[in-house]
Formats: sequence, structure tokens, C-alpha cells
Amino acid sequence: MGIKGLTKLLADNAPKSMKEQKFESYFGRKIAIDASMSIYQFLIVVGRVGSELLTNEAGDVTSHLQGMFTRTIRLLEAGLKPAYIFDGKPPDLKKQELSKRFSKREDATEDLKTAQAEGDKESIEKFSKRTVKVTKQHNDDCKRLLRLMGVPVIEAPSEAEAECAALCKNGKVYAVASEDMDSLTFGAPRFLRHLMEPSSKKIPVMEFEIAKVLEELDLTMDQFIDLCILCGCDYCDSIRGIGGQTALKLIRQHGSIENILENINKERYQIPENWPYQEARRLFKEPLVSEPNDQLEIKWTAPDEEGLVTFLVNENGFNGERVTKAIEKIKAAKNKSSQGRLESFFKPAVSTSVPIKRKETSEKTTKETAKKKSKPGGGRKK
Amino acid sequence: MLELRLVQGSLLKKVLEAIRELVTDANFDCSGTGFSLQAMDSSHVALVALLLRSEGFEHYRCDRNLSMGMNLNNVSKMLRCAGNDDIVTIKADDGSDTVTFMFESPSQWNLSHSVFFFLCLFVEWLSFLRKGQDKIADFEMKLMDIDSEHLGIPEAEYHAIVRMPSSEFARICKDLSSIGDTVVISVTKEGVKFSTKGDIGTANIVCRQNTTVDKPEEATIIEMKEPVTLTFALRYMNSFTKATPLSSTVSLSLSSELPIVVEYKIAEMGYIRFYLAPKIEDEEEDVKPQV
Repeated sequence: MGIKGLTKLLADNAPKSMKEQKFESYFGRKIAIDASMSIYQFLIVVGRVGSELLTNEAGDVTSHLQGMFTRTIRLLEAGLKPAYIFDGKPPDLKKQELSKRFSKREDATEDLKTAQAEGDKESIEKFSKRTVKVTKQHNDDCKRLLRLMGVPVIEAPSEAEAECAALCKNGKVYAVASEDMDSLTFGAPRFLRHLMEPSSKKIPVMEFEIAKVLEELDLTMDQFIDLCILCGCDYCDSIRGIGGQTALKLIRQHGSIENILENINKERYQIPENWPYQEARRLFKEPLVSEPNDQLEIKWTAPDEEGLVTFLVNENGFNGERVTKAIEKIKAAKNKSSQGRLESFFKPAVSTSVPIKRKETSEKTTKETAKKKSKPGGGRKK
Repeated sequence: MLELRLVQGSLLKKVLEAIRELVTDANFDCSGTGFSLQAMDSSHVALVALLLRSEGFEHYRCDRNLSMGMNLNNVSKMLRCAGNDDIVTIKADDGSDTVTFMFESPSQWNLSHSVFFFLCLFVEWLSFLRKGQDKIADFEMKLMDIDSEHLGIPEAEYHAIVRMPSSEFARICKDLSSIGDTVVISVTKEGVKFSTKGDIGTANIVCRQNTTVDKPEEATIIEMKEPVTLTFALRYMNSFTKATPLSSTVSLSLSSELPIVVEYKIAEMGYIRFYLAPKIEDEEEDVKPQV
């Protein structure tokens, strides 16, 4: 899923493009969240014991609802304004990848059966995680839940990540949250990872800025897209033997996939037959998204208390008391979101002071800084 | 090279106590004009700006503009080791990743001179002995790299400026926060009104202009160009009032659609100013995010 090894590549080659941020600092910000990815994660982790998930009386899985409910409340409580974007029709090129995933899942289902027969607990857990699939029912449940909570739901014409990126480009949202690095390839100006992690894990949010990524890698957006295709994306195969580092080197040297294909040793690197890289590039560059004018104002409304109780407590066996408490939290959070941010009043200014302690990535290439570079991240604030 | 010597060491302690609840890590900036700090709280709702002008220091040497990243809790720990009468010196070398706080305890026996005049000679001898025992403590603290966002704060004309005793303001904030979470501050010709609403009821406190007082610091002065009404989170206001020991008066500057400025003047040295973004009535008016 996503772009293979891109996080590591950026950490090594463009460290300034990623910044650890405190969860609270997104206070008051509108954030577009890739819903399918989140639901998938909830199905994997929430309330899992072996191959068993949380279920209601009828035996239907409710892990996704539980996850969606609690995590969304956490976002709201911190004053964030989340909007969930759901996948539409996948592009044709992705079908291949999807069918691959399908067959993997089939394999895992087989493996799970054997493991269950043998009673191997570790394998049961491992394989059952791999059999997880987000169904239409799961998506519909979550959409209903979110609407009842007063959180906006947007259905993308095609890929959710592309739609998120488009919303962010048009300034409808401040940032895109996903675990998929694709978002950067789609050109989301600001991209957040680990936003949906449970607070108990204490993982800081990682913020990526595409402008800084391009600046530090010294690439254009088109070149960056080519780099991602070479690294390996959802839409087509990559060239065997070319990983992130090599891809970056090649792109810097030749500038585009076409030039690379002309210049590389074809004996050493096997280029897939009928390699649809141009098609993949087009999907990243001009994905099917809604027109800026069609994008409705994203609105957050008051929760439908009765609706939530009916849906969660009566239909899905949630604890009534907890749901009522959670609704109170949503209402309290609503109040909080009216707090303004200082940045809306004051603009960032450049400080003229030089840090007394020189940063390891200082632009001045004095001997001292060169020496300090040898210990990456040594002096960084944790 | 940086060397700042402050006779009133306790002042630094008070400054730290005033801001460390709001901000955990911050860059202290030193320039020829003075020692300053600007930092936001983690949710970017409040900002603190501190200035201690170079003239206020007994000795001030700063060769070039420098910024030093510090964890304020750690600074506070260091400063707690200084006595209230100690002279504090802040020192740092270029390119070093530490800062040194030096505390000098003054000779305790000097007072005795005037009181026990007849024991002058004896005391002189004693204090001579004591001088040898005067304490000098050096505390070295590690600096850190902080990516802080500096905001440019334009000079603005405020619709209303209220000056009042700082203890009075602290009391109002404390009292109101036992009833509600937010305070509505409205300034009219009649005076300044602080009000709140909570589950248990409501509260309204009105302070009228009052200049006929014995001491000037007890006065309440309202300069108003236009009436204003703004709403703020009390949690932040309460943390601003931690600066009360620094000054006997506080001034509140308000303009509609601008953050409030809560300023405590630091005698002969500078100021500590807190900026707080107001609550926005209609959330759809939300300012577009900046890229």
C-alpha cells in the first residue's frame, strides 16, 4: 500500500520536510481523513482477541464503529475538525493491485483455517489480521455513524487520497491525514501521519510538507511523481532491483522515467512488459476528483443524540451509559472549537537571532557543522 | 559570548513562574537591546512575549544576536537553587551547547553596620570573615534545538485599554473560573464588565474607573475609543495571572477581532505580555488556513 520505502527515503534525504508535532497543535484545524484506511485499521486492532472481533448480538462486527466513534471523539475533543473522505470507484489500474490483495487474502484465509485446526494462537492472530477486508457494509455503517455525530462525510469520485489532496490544495482543509504516503504523490500540501493513533501509544503526529520535500530533494513535482512510481506504487509494478535510493539517484541524473529507460542497463534491470507508468503518472497528476466549485462547504453540525443511541445502543449493543457520556463530550467539544488561533491574527515572522547551539543541518558548511552532521538527530528535541 | 548580570535575581524566578505553565520549551533571544522571548502554547491559542532591556542589567554583554533553546521547567529548577537576594549571571559561549547560571549570595552582615554602630569594628572584622565565605554557585544547563514559529505582532491601536491592580484582576479570573469556562469582557463608558455563565449560575463583575486613590497603583483607569466585547477562555487568563508578583498593575488592551493583550510591566526593565486569541462566535467565519 502506498509508496514503498518513501518514509525512509524522505527521512534520509529530506529530513527538514518532516516535523514531529503535538496532537494539540492542530487545534481548530480542518483535517481531511482517508476513511477507508482508518476503518481498515480499526478492523485490525480494535477489540481483537485472536480471530474474534467486537460484535453485536446478531454477530456482526462492530470494531469499526467502536474505533470510529472513540477516535473521532478524541479528535473533536482536541478541537480538531475532521472530515472523512470515502473511496469511490477505484481506477482501472488499481484493479490489478486489488486483485493481488484479494488473492493474498484468500491465501491468508486458507492459512487461518489450518492454524485454527492446529490451534496455533500466534498464527491465528497473524493470519486473521491479513483476512481483514473493508466491506461496503462497514463503510455504510461508518458513514451513518459519522453523519449522526455531525461530522462531515465526503464521497470521493474515485480515490479518497486524491480527493483529500484536492481539498487541501483548494484550501478547504488545512491538512490531509492518512497512513498512506500516496497523499504526498497526489500533491497534498500538508500531510499528517499517526493522527489516528490511540493516545495511549503516545506517538507524535508526523507532519510532511510537499513544498519542503521538493525543495530538499531538489525535484519538481513531476519528477517526484516519477520517483514514487519507481519506488513502487499501487498502480503499476516497479522495476526489479530499483529501490528508493537508486530511484532518487536515477531521477536526479536523468530527470524523468523516459530518460531513465533510454539510459539504464536493460540487462541488469528488467523493465516490466507493457509497463503502464505513463498511465500511473496521469492518475497521480490528474486524478479523478470533484471540481473545486462542486466541493461543498464542509460543515460540522450538532450530534443527533437520539439517532446515535438508536444506532449504537439499540442496534449494535453498545453500552448506553458510555454512549451518553460520549455524546456529552461531542457537545462540549463543539463549544471548544469556536476558540480562535493566534495564526489567524498574526503572521509568521523570521527571527533574526542565530541559535547559539548550531543546528546539524545548518546551511553554512563550516567544518564544525560538517562534524556535527555525523550524528544525525543527536541534538533534536524529542 | 554572552554575559548578563542581574542584581535582582529573584526577578528571573518570577518571570519563569509566570510563563512555565503556558509554555514548556522556548527560545530565549539575546540582542544588543535586550533579553527576550516569544513563545506560543502548544495549541497556538496564547502567546507570551517577554522583554528585559539591556539597561536593566548591571552588566550586559551580547556580541551578536543569539537564541538559546531551553526547557522552561529545567530553567525553573536551576533558578530555584538561587536565593531570593542572589545576584544572577547568565553566561554562554559561542557555539557551546550549554548555558551557565551563576548565583552570588551577597554578604549578609552588611545591614548590621548601621544598627550596631558601636560594634562597628567588631562587625567589620566579622563581615570580613564572612566575605571569604560568600557563596558563588555555578549551574550549567544543556540547551536544545527548538523549531519555534516566530509571529510578527504588528503595533495596533486598541479600542480600549484598561489599567487595574494586578491582584484585583487575578482575583476576578479566579472567582469567575469557579463558575464558568469563558469570560466575556466588555468595556463601555460605565466601566469594564467581566461576566461568565456556567451550569450552576452566572457571575458579573463590574469595575468602574477610579482614580481617586491614595496610591497610583490602586487606580482603575479606562481609556476607551469604542466599546468592545470579547470572549476568552478563562483557563488561559488564569495562567497569565501567574505574572501578578511581577507588577502591581496590569493592563488589558482590547480590540474587536484582535487577540487581547494582558501586559505586566517589569519595573525599569521591560514587560511580559500575553496575547490570547478570542473565541469566535460564528465558526463559519473561521479564517482560511494559511499554506
